[in-house]
Amino acid sequence: MSGGGAVTYTVWAVLIALPLLAAWLTLDPGLGGARRRIWWAVLAAAGAAALIAAPRVATFSQQELLVFLAINALVVASYRLLALTGEFSLGHVVMMGVGAYATALFSKRLGVPVPVSMLLAAGVTGLVAFILAFPLFRMKGFYFLIGSFAAGEAIRLTWKRFQDPFGGPKGVSRIPGFPDMEVGPFELLFWEPVTYYYLALAVAAASIWVLWRIERSHIGLVFHAVHWQDQLAGAVGVNTWRARATALVVASAFAGLAGALLAHYLTTVNPNRFDVDEMVYVLIWVIVGGTATIWGPIVGLIALTAINEVVLRDAGVDELRPMFYGAVLILAMLFLPEGLETLPRRVAGWLGRGRPAG
Amino acid sequence: MSFASMNRRNFLGATALAGAATVAGPHRARADDTVKIGFLAPLTGDVAAWGLPGLYGCEIWAEQKNAMGGVEIGGATYNVEIVSYDNEYLPDKARTGAQKLIAEDGVSFIEMLGGDTMPAVTPIANRAEMLVSTLLPSDLSPDTPFLVAPAEVHPIYNLTGVWWMAENMPDAKTAVICAQDDAIGRPSVATYLAAFEAHGVEVKDTIFFDISTTDFAPVMTAMLAHKPDILCLDTAYAEFVNELCKQAFVQGYGGQIVSCTADFYADIIANTSEEFMDGVIFQFPDFDDPALNDPRINFDDPNGFFQTYNERYPGQWGAVSWEYASILDLWLDGARKAGSIEPAAVLEGMKQGGKGAHAFGEADWWGEELFGIDNALVGDWPVVQIQNGKAVIVEFKNIPEWWSEHGGTMIEHFEEMGEMWYQRA
Repeated sequence: MSGGGAVTYTVWAVLIALPLLAAWLTLDPGLGGARRRIWWAVLAAAGAAALIAAPRVATFSQQELLVFLAINALVVASYRLLALTGEFSLGHVVMMGVGAYATALFSKRLGVPVPVSMLLAAGVTGLVAFILAFPLFRMKGFYFLIGSFAAGEAIRLTWKRFQDPFGGPKGVSRIPGFPDMEVGPFELLFWEPVTYYYLALAVAAASIWVLWRIERSHIGLVFHAVHWQDQLAGAVGVNTWRARATALVVASAFAGLAGALLAHYLTTVNPNRFDVDEMVYVLIWVIVGGTATIWGPIVGLIALTAINEVVLRDAGVDELRPMFYGAVLILAMLFLPEGLETLPRRVAGWLGRGRPAG
Repeated sequence: MSFASMNRRNFLGATALAGAATVAGPHRARADDTVKIGFLAPLTGDVAAWGLPGLYGCEIWAEQKNAMGGVEIGGATYNVEIVSYDNEYLPDKARTGAQKLIAEDGVSFIEMLGGDTMPAVTPIANRAEMLVSTLLPSDLSPDTPFLVAPAEVHPIYNLTGVWWMAENMPDAKTAVICAQDDAIGRPSVATYLAAFEAHGVEVKDTIFFDISTTDFAPVMTAMLAHKPDILCLDTAYAEFVNELCKQAFVQGYGGQIVSCTADFYADIIANTSEEFMDGVIFQFPDFDDPALNDPRINFDDPNGFFQTYNERYPGQWGAVSWEYASILDLWLDGARKAGSIEPAAVLEGMKQGGKGAHAFGEADWWGEELFGIDNALVGDWPVVQIQNGKAVIVEFKNIPEWWSEHGGTMIEHFEEMGEMWYQRA
């Protein structure tokens, strides 16, 4: 067994439970304002403590997983922002790649300091998304899905085609890492997974907070309106194209930021890392987790990563993981079609049914 | 110093103490300790055919050594344990796997396929001073001092097939190459272009296809439009070679085919015909080949290994089935010379005298001109031909001999393809 035993599994259980409880608090209409605020405060404190403590009790390899988990949390949360408008894209992972390539080239070729380069990369990704919005939002639904796939492949194949500056199929290597820092008595070495995890966690948490605020703002309501009643929204003066384009640009910029985090950790990017297979994983995390709350995709990501990377690897069934993983997906879709995020509400419902009436 | 390297050193220190406290026993004595070897390669996904069969081979190798009482290194006897991690040919999973193998499992050596996954592992391996092997020497550069390519100098050995055809099929004067457009296919194209040029074969066209390609009919139609004497399939995934051969068969091609690999060629024959596949040239022998019983071959009982492998994994024999196992032979040879399982010492032992016991005979540590570092083991390589439905070694060719005459041509084509180590982005 490689996972580190009971402590490891406890860490993962807590990491899954936290967003599940957050989803429950978001969805449960039965909680009053004061109680809800207390629950949120308790959950926020417990969540912060668990996320800070997690790498300290995790094994070396699981510290690595935590880094990628933080990065991917930003990917799925940003993907959901676009999904709020009712559009599912197959190009989101390529947008992540745009950020990864942009920061690689800015920092390696132009010598831009890495933190600045990461922010620039997010901006470049948003700009690319804005340009793509013109052709893509001439389509809706299934046609948008296929159009986003085609646009993503065009970008990905451009990276493959041009050795200079993209490195061709091999991609770009020896990308500068995030610079080490001295903060008081502490030396922060960002090549170490624990340090980089805290950086990625801070960036992801801040970004997810921004995404959450956007959803709760006026523009967030517009996204929902465009999703459910786009013609009606248009009839009352909402510019539906602008709303969809805004969602695409913002979602892509945050995906680009996630890509930049990935690039400076791995110090390498290549076109295959952002292919449709990876996109399918993002879709699965989002769909299995659910999209009703911002926590749903994060629950899906953590639960499925735990199953695929911890439970199945510990079970010593490396070659059979795709089969087991597929079975888990089928079961999740059969028994939790609205996503894992509805699990606490369902459990509460089952428990409630067991109680005597009155 | 990193956590990772401290952890590994502690582990190695403990094993060394355990070894020192034990008097070496007779050949079949019980092993004192266990030496762990990491296997970090794709075991699932598109590239699994170049990982999983290799893991099977390593497990058989370890079983055979352990059945003999373990391996003796520096006066201690060790059982060998293979610890695998499926990296799915993704850099992030390769990094996680490397961290696990080094810091948690305490391995003394890591075997990898390389390619896309190597740049993410190199910084970790360098910090931990961990010896790592690759099957793709295009991973080598002066930045990878602990990385060796001791079994397969892909794609350089592909020149031996072209060289043999030039000598034995002098009428074949034109060729068309198709290649998967990735880090595996492109350097292979450079090699074939150089080899064809060196032997006076005109290359009419080079067609790259993306690795997401599923319909190979248009690729083959474009190739056959040139009416080539030689159809070169470059280095491609097993299913691509299978599909390309099927299309060549369906579209009525009757000329010579050359490919780096013909993994699971029985399936290709089943999809085409024995007559169609007769004469196909590739580079990876079956290990029941009588030519491998020659005394210069440095692989224990190749015929027995092949038989065991096929009994256990019928139909799974492929290009890499023996390669990772042969790297273990070289690792063991290096460890014995060093008298230690410490990675840096084993590397020194491996490279002692500038020569190594490669599976196909004594070979030279080489690569400075092409990779910027002499960490590739190069010597003889077999040319394999399908004859009556069976892979047969038709000749061994010496790569350094070819290089001394045509090395400049190879470097030119590598530069044109942007594949020299100093051109990598």
